Amino acid sequence: MTTAPAAAPGPADTPIEPRGTDDTPGAARLRAAFARAARDRRAALIPYVVAGYPDAATSLAVALAALDAGADVLELGLPYSDPLADGATLQRASAVALRNGSTFDRSVELLRAIHEARPEAPLVPMAYVNQAIGSGDPIGRLGRLAAAGASGVILADLTPDEGAPVEAAAREAGLAVVYLVTPTTPPARRARIAACTGGFLYTVSLVGVTGARRRLPRDVTHFVAQVRAVARGPVAVGFGVSRPAHVRRLARSADGVIVASALVDALGPDGRDVPRMARLVGRLARAGRWSGAQEA
Amino acid sequence: MTVVAPPRPPAGRLGVLGQIAAQRRTDVLTELGDASFRAMRRDARGAAPARPFAERLAASGLHVIAEVKRASPSAGRLAPAGLDIAAQARAYAAGGATAISVLCEGPHFGGSLDDLRVVREAVALPVLAKEFVVDPRQLPQLRAAGADAVLLLAALHPAARLGRLVWQALDLGLEPLVEAHDERELERALRTPARVIGLNARDLRTLAVDPERAVALVGRVPGDRVVVAESGIRDADAVRDLRALGVDAVLVGEALMRAPHPEAMVRSLVEAGAVPDDAAAAARAPLVKICGVTDEAGLLAAVRAGADAVGLNVVPGTPRCLDVREAAALAGLLRASRTGPTPRLVAVTADASPADLARIVEALDPGIVQCSGHEPAGVVATVRRPVWKTVHLDRAPGTPATGQPDPLEAVPGIVAEVSTWLAMPPVEHVLLDTAGGPHAGGTGVAVDRRVAAAVAREVPVVLAGGLDPATVGEAVLAVPAIGVDVASGTDLPRRPGHRPRKDPFRVALFIKRARAARFDRPTVAARPTPVAAGLLDVDARGRWGTDRAFGGRYVPETLVTALEQLEAAWAAVREEPRYWAQLRELGQRYVGRPSALYRADRLAAALARRVGRDAGSLHLWLKREDLNHTGAHKINNALGQALLTRRLGKSRVIAETGAGQHGVATATACALLDLPCVVYMGAQDIRRQAPNVLRMRALGAQVVPVTSGSATLKDAVNEAMRDWVTNVATTHYVLGSAVGPHPYPLIVRDLQRVIGDEAAEQLLEVEGRLPDVAIACLGGGSNGLGLLSRFIGEPAVRLVGVEAAGEGLATGRHAAALAGGSPGILHGSRSYMLQDGDGQVVEAVSLSAGLDYPGIGPQLSALFAAGRLEVLAATDAEALDGLRLLTRTEGIIPALEAAHAIAALPRLLAGGVGRPALADGAVVLLGLSGRGDKDLGVLGGDEASAT
Repeated sequence: MTTAPAAAPGPADTPIEPRGTDDTPGAARLRAAFARAARDRRAALIPYVVAGYPDAATSLAVALAALDAGADVLELGLPYSDPLADGATLQRASAVALRNGSTFDRSVELLRAIHEARPEAPLVPMAYVNQAIGSGDPIGRLGRLAAAGASGVILADLTPDEGAPVEAAAREAGLAVVYLVTPTTPPARRARIAACTGGFLYTVSLVGVTGARRRLPRDVTHFVAQVRAVARGPVAVGFGVSRPAHVRRLARSADGVIVASALVDALGPDGRDVPRMARLVGRLARAGRWSGAQEA
Repeated sequence: MTVVAPPRPPAGRLGVLGQIAAQRRTDVLTELGDASFRAMRRDARGAAPARPFAERLAASGLHVIAEVKRASPSAGRLAPAGLDIAAQARAYAAGGATAISVLCEGPHFGGSLDDLRVVREAVALPVLAKEFVVDPRQLPQLRAAGADAVLLLAALHPAARLGRLVWQALDLGLEPLVEAHDERELERALRTPARVIGLNARDLRTLAVDPERAVALVGRVPGDRVVVAESGIRDADAVRDLRALGVDAVLVGEALMRAPHPEAMVRSLVEAGAVPDDAAAAARAPLVKICGVTDEAGLLAAVRAGADAVGLNVVPGTPRCLDVREAAALAGLLRASRTGPTPRLVAVTADASPADLARIVEALDPGIVQCSGHEPAGVVATVRRPVWKTVHLDRAPGTPATGQPDPLEAVPGIVAEVSTWLAMPPVEHVLLDTAGGPHAGGTGVAVDRRVAAAVAREVPVVLAGGLDPATVGEAVLAVPAIGVDVASGTDLPRRPGHRPRKDPFRVALFIKRARAARFDRPTVAARPTPVAAGLLDVDARGRWGTDRAFGGRYVPETLVTALEQLEAAWAAVREEPRYWAQLRELGQRYVGRPSALYRADRLAAALARRVGRDAGSLHLWLKREDLNHTGAHKINNALGQALLTRRLGKSRVIAETGAGQHGVATATACALLDLPCVVYMGAQDIRRQAPNVLRMRALGAQVVPVTSGSATLKDAVNEAMRDWVTNVATTHYVLGSAVGPHPYPLIVRDLQRVIGDEAAEQLLEVEGRLPDVAIACLGGGSNGLGLLSRFIGEPAVRLVGVEAAGEGLATGRHAAALAGGSPGILHGSRSYMLQDGDGQVVEAVSLSAGLDYPGIGPQLSALFAAGRLEVLAATDAEALDGLRLLTRTEGIIPALEAAHAIAALPRLLAGGVGRPALADGAVVLLGLSGRGDKDLGVLGGDEASAT
């Protein structure tokens, strides 16, 4: 049978140069969280929690524990079938969550629950672009995230080159779209991305996928300093961060540090060791305090 | 033999060259004393007439000028003392050389005028005197000794003197070959009227050879000069590259003098320089009409050069007008000519009356009558021959004045006018020419290129007006005209009071340049493609479709720079003739291209019987990519991208694979090109396609099982992307299908379109027309686009894609992204895909590993969304049945993927809702994407026990 083509709503005449979303309420809340940390003389800590891992109830507990242990901002990963920017840890967590019934709706509910319990902490869902706009109605989906308490959104496979339609929908919803820069981003492009990111600039520390690393690249502080030089707002570094020493090193040059896979690892093989994860968050948060000259 | 080390370049601006020239000056003064140029010129008149040299090089292909040289400052002694120069020259001639070069300088090269005389006597070929001309009297001296051509070094002479020497040589009937080594020398050379330009890769000051230097200069020589590449040419590959670059000849000396079998070596170089046998490439050439022939010599030149048509002008009052009697005589000569395929004769008229037209037809018996004026349709209709009608455009504006209308606004009107003429018998072709000259007909001035290109894109036209050997190449690249017409551009310089006459050299060169321009450029449009541009090509942002809704680049930031680098590299490479020539050579020598086109009558009969149609109701042609080396179409893309890897400066290749065919193809290409290779393959697929895994490992590739997700193709893509994200600095990701972020869908399309390009020519040869239907299975879309791309711009050809319906579309367990999916973002591009309400990717289900992919390439989504592509789907059971049917009726075991297309044929034949049944005798072209040895396991037990 031949099927008539479904209507294809497409980004037909998208402007090439995105405006950015740094003027949204969500972006303002994010910047405020970084400002608070700075006043406290420390780098902001941004843990990442996989929504629905290992199940909905536990992941709520994980999120609240992380916040109570010292998180300034919380990233909430929306599990995806094809996480091509993620290493084995987050791939596995995503798969378990999906198997145990994680859906977009349930993730929105989780977001709402976290927000209601801890209204002060900005929440940033992290997803892949098809989850935000794939099924059409990006404004609706992003609106629901905003209504549930999100301040921004990070889409791992979205760059400003294709960002315009997502930014437009996010602006409608009052959400920041956080962009990423990586060590392979040339300086001119780095500056352009810095100019249009909303809330903060996600700085990827290494060339690779997510996953806890024992060591960060040797030149990471230099790289972060270069990014800081062109950033207009806060700079948060992520990918690979797994131990307090990393945080101490990064706290000298970044405004915030993101930790993801290491926390999932800390939950143990069944994903339920919340206390252990919370202790790690605490140690990482303390490591973010500014001090005198320290070796990494 | 011992090689004498080259002397250290002496001090002085011209180094070694200066030294040789200085000595020559002294020696010539001694030799010639105070003989006058005039006296020597008189003596030279007694010599045997010069043999044509430039004209021979203007014939198609790259020619070999073989050199006889006893020694040289760079190589030392090259020949034994008792070398038989005549025998060496005869060997060269027997090998197919077009000319012989003879060193005449003694002290450094061991040559002499005697050598020149001996060689000229020994062969019938033209002889180039390789001399250091420092005194004009050397020219008549060389001519008297029998030289047909002479070397003039731009390095030795300032512009004025160089020009004088060129004129003097031409005046003596001695063809100057003016040689340059750098931009400044080339500029001086081009300012002279020399027809033959030599580009020497060797710097005669230092004797160092830099082949890329000469290559860089080729582009600066206008098309109306013949280019000879010299120095450092040793093998067939170098010659092939130079032909693709547009070089007309190579001069080879040292390599031939050192060759144990000079005749065989010349032959191998001559073969490498010949225009390759490639029907699809040849089909891109425009037809060429040489117009305004006024005498027998011009007619013969056009015939010898292989013109498609020759025009005799019978328009009274125009410069090239013949009276009817003269024209009839020339027409008779043309008919009687036996020197090869005869061009069609065109009687060129303008605003003639029906009675005059009838008289002309009667007298000349032309194959075609051209109506170049403003003839009304009624008059044209009276002509009892095919008619070529001229449509006049405004001349190209010098600088468009403000307030002038945009010339492009005229395009729809011109297209309509052309279409009206083409719809009216007896009109066969329409010419676009400029208007407003003093005579009816053409003005010899160029048409606005953009206007011509826009018109030629919609309707077939012959481009006329202001073309010549220097401009026809770029005109033909910019305008997809199906033909070119030239009059004044191929004439000899006009003598006042005389009628213009053809210059055989310019005629030959015009035809050569016109035909060569698109030969190694498969990505250039060569004919009208009257469909929306978005269905044929991607825009600057990597988007396809009438609304540019599909494609793009949705990737993690880490990959952006690599993709931009890849995009830039491909944009350059796809316009590079050498790349396509190298790929063609590999395709023919290694892959086995062109792949056979096979008429499957028994299969067609079996299919027809199933739907109650006559056995002969279907002409089914299988394009057999299964016969390629490695057994599928995947090798076309793998080889092309492996060649590209080296150009990118990357040293490692990764790939994903589903059925294993792309993995095997990539491993094969990497073995051939010595690149480390890692292939990611879903663990499920490794189980299903074990033979291919063994093959990949045998070829030296590392096969990495992927266990995440569904452990099939989409997960292998994810893992390959992760590897690429991590190793992007050293690694090129050879993506296997027409999916992925921009520029991959473009690259894979460009590399696979050879399938349909070949099939079209093969079909035209056996059926005399294009297919009614082109049908292919669709997984990611590489085989589909490979077969279908040629036909997208042919509105009369139906395009059908067959997806994998797995267990049935209604069950939701299938792999039909178009028939059963919706637009979303997968693996970097926006395209149809299988997804749920949350945007999660739904696993594809199909028995065939190669179609088991939940997405499809963005160009196919664009074609589908625009209604240009019809989509059917075949279930696993139907595909198995198709596999068995082809196997039993034709003895060809197809890949399960291709069997899906076979399975859809009965439905196509019978027609259905919104789909007409195929007419009797319909010509169907089916892409047999691969062979099915890998699928024998799924055929089940009954095959094993069948008697």
